[in-house]
Amino acid sequence: MQQHATIMDATFSAADLESAAKPRGRPLHKMLVAFSAAYFTGALVTDLVYWQMPAVLWERFSIWLISAGLVLSGLAAVAYVIDLVTGREIDRPAVPRAVGYALAVLLSLINAFVHSRDGYTAVVPTGLALSALVVVVLLLTARVGTALANRSRV
Amino acid sequence: MRAPNISPSAKLPRLAALLVAVAGLGLAGCDDHAADPKMQIGANPVLPALQQYLMPPMRVAKVIGWGADEHPAVPQGLQVKPLASGFVHPRSLYVLPNGDVLVVESNGPKAPISRPKDIVTGWVQWFAGAKAKDENRITLIRDTKGDGVPELRTVFLDHLNSPFGVALVGHDLYVANTDAIVRYPYEDGQTSITAPGTKLTDLPGGPIDHHWTKTLLASPDGSKLYVGVGSNSNITENGIGAEYERAAIWEVDRASGAHRIFASGVRNPTGLQWEPETGKLWAIANERDEIGPDLVPDYLTSVKDGGFYGWPYSYYGQHLDPRVEPQRPDLVATALIPDYALSSHVAPLGLAMYTGTGLPANYRSGAFVSEHGSWNRTPLNGYKVVFVPFSNGRPSGPAQDVVTGFLDADNHAHGRPVGLAVDRNGGLLIADDVGNTVWRVSSARPGSVSSAR
Repeated sequence: MQQHATIMDATFSAADLESAAKPRGRPLHKMLVAFSAAYFTGALVTDLVYWQMPAVLWERFSIWLISAGLVLSGLAAVAYVIDLVTGREIDRPAVPRAVGYALAVLLSLINAFVHSRDGYTAVVPTGLALSALVVVVLLLTARVGTALANRSRV
Repeated sequence: MRAPNISPSAKLPRLAALLVAVAGLGLAGCDDHAADPKMQIGANPVLPALQQYLMPPMRVAKVIGWGADEHPAVPQGLQVKPLASGFVHPRSLYVLPNGDVLVVESNGPKAPISRPKDIVTGWVQWFAGAKAKDENRITLIRDTKGDGVPELRTVFLDHLNSPFGVALVGHDLYVANTDAIVRYPYEDGQTSITAPGTKLTDLPGGPIDHHWTKTLLASPDGSKLYVGVGSNSNITENGIGAEYERAAIWEVDRASGAHRIFASGVRNPTGLQWEPETGKLWAIANERDEIGPDLVPDYLTSVKDGGFYGWPYSYYGQHLDPRVEPQRPDLVATALIPDYALSSHVAPLGLAMYTGTGLPANYRSGAFVSEHGSWNRTPLNGYKVVFVPFSNGRPSGPAQDVVTGFLDADNHAHGRPVGLAVDRNGGLLIADDVGNTVWRVSSARPGSVSSAR
């Protein structure tokens, strides 16, 4: 905790310093981000199953999972703003994480449209590829975020 | 805002570039150039390459209804007048032997929501005026004098289940509900039926019931009933299992209720008629959506016994649809090409082979087709009644616009034409399901003002 506070001091802009000085509780958005990431990852799994066994049930799982992920990502954005305003803890570095996550959400939005097509091409090949890309972006974002955070700590 | 102390900040522009590229992809999905519908009318429609959308275009006409002095437009020599109005979503028409007109007021069962898309589609349909109450009844209109001013209007049959097709054979009146054909006793001149119906056969109905209208036509000898049964999806997105005995024209034995598939692969056969010269069965059909503004043209075709017309695997013969998996090359090889394209997304919902003599001579041989109008194409297509001239039992020329003016200059819909019928005096009757009117088109008599009110 002590170390964390130091990093924040170094990285926060002047405007944020006041609130950052005294973090008030765990961030609200983190859980929502994790849930949406899990939904997006679930959609990749159901896409893979549909690819192997094209029964509409799996395709519907995918589109509902992606939609639920998008709804949660919207809520996560709201929660993020609340976290900023109320001065809750935000994992550093915030910008690469936010940009990576936003990219994954944007790709998922496109994926939702692709998955709303009728029939097989709602998934194969574009939908499946997008679902996989989203998971890759999410993994990279998590990895880059962690790497940068560790690097700052050195 | 942020202190730039992140060393791999070079990543950001790359990400930004990717975002821009992705956004561009989204816009490209909206790029849409529809060709002239005239290129897709007749025996050899021009079929462009198939395209798949990111965001399918939805373009529906806002419904404004008819003002007190407004009516559709007809060419010189014809006039159009409302026969009756104030209906609730009149969908199809049937003329009884004594001249009474049956107006089927129906709007289909509630569509289930199986995907987020269905929620959006619901909004679009509401906007297009397709969300009227399902009245589930048939109203009788009697105009004995034939002057277009009815003397009697009664509820003929009530408490039906999304009815569409009606056929009278002798004293047996058949109503095709969305899930069954029901027989009622009918006496000449009867204005209301209260007797309970007897089910002749079940028809494919819920729980999905995507294309719910079941059109009905009796064979000339009265022994068989032909039923148009639409598909349960646009292109099998509800699973191939949901399509059992759908997208087909059924032949139902009137005595036993047994049926066989007379023709298959017809996505949504919404109108059936006998061609008077050859005695062959003809149908109009609504083809598939979401592969382009000019795909796939809806059509008018003779129906061959045992014929397969492509859906879902292919269209216009062997044009494959990649959205169906697994494919069926064995069936595709046998797919027939429809006789006459009506152009894409016009949504033909009414067919009347004209055998009357009330209209001018140029309409005495051919088919009237009502085009309900597109909802996924720019510019809008359809929203009119056309006439396809026939000679020797085959279409013999381009479709002519007969009843127009359902759309105004701002693409607002006064009404949308659906069911067609020819009345006892040779007038063409048109059900208008958002204008809630039945229109009657007749010859403009010499001396009278064309399309006078």
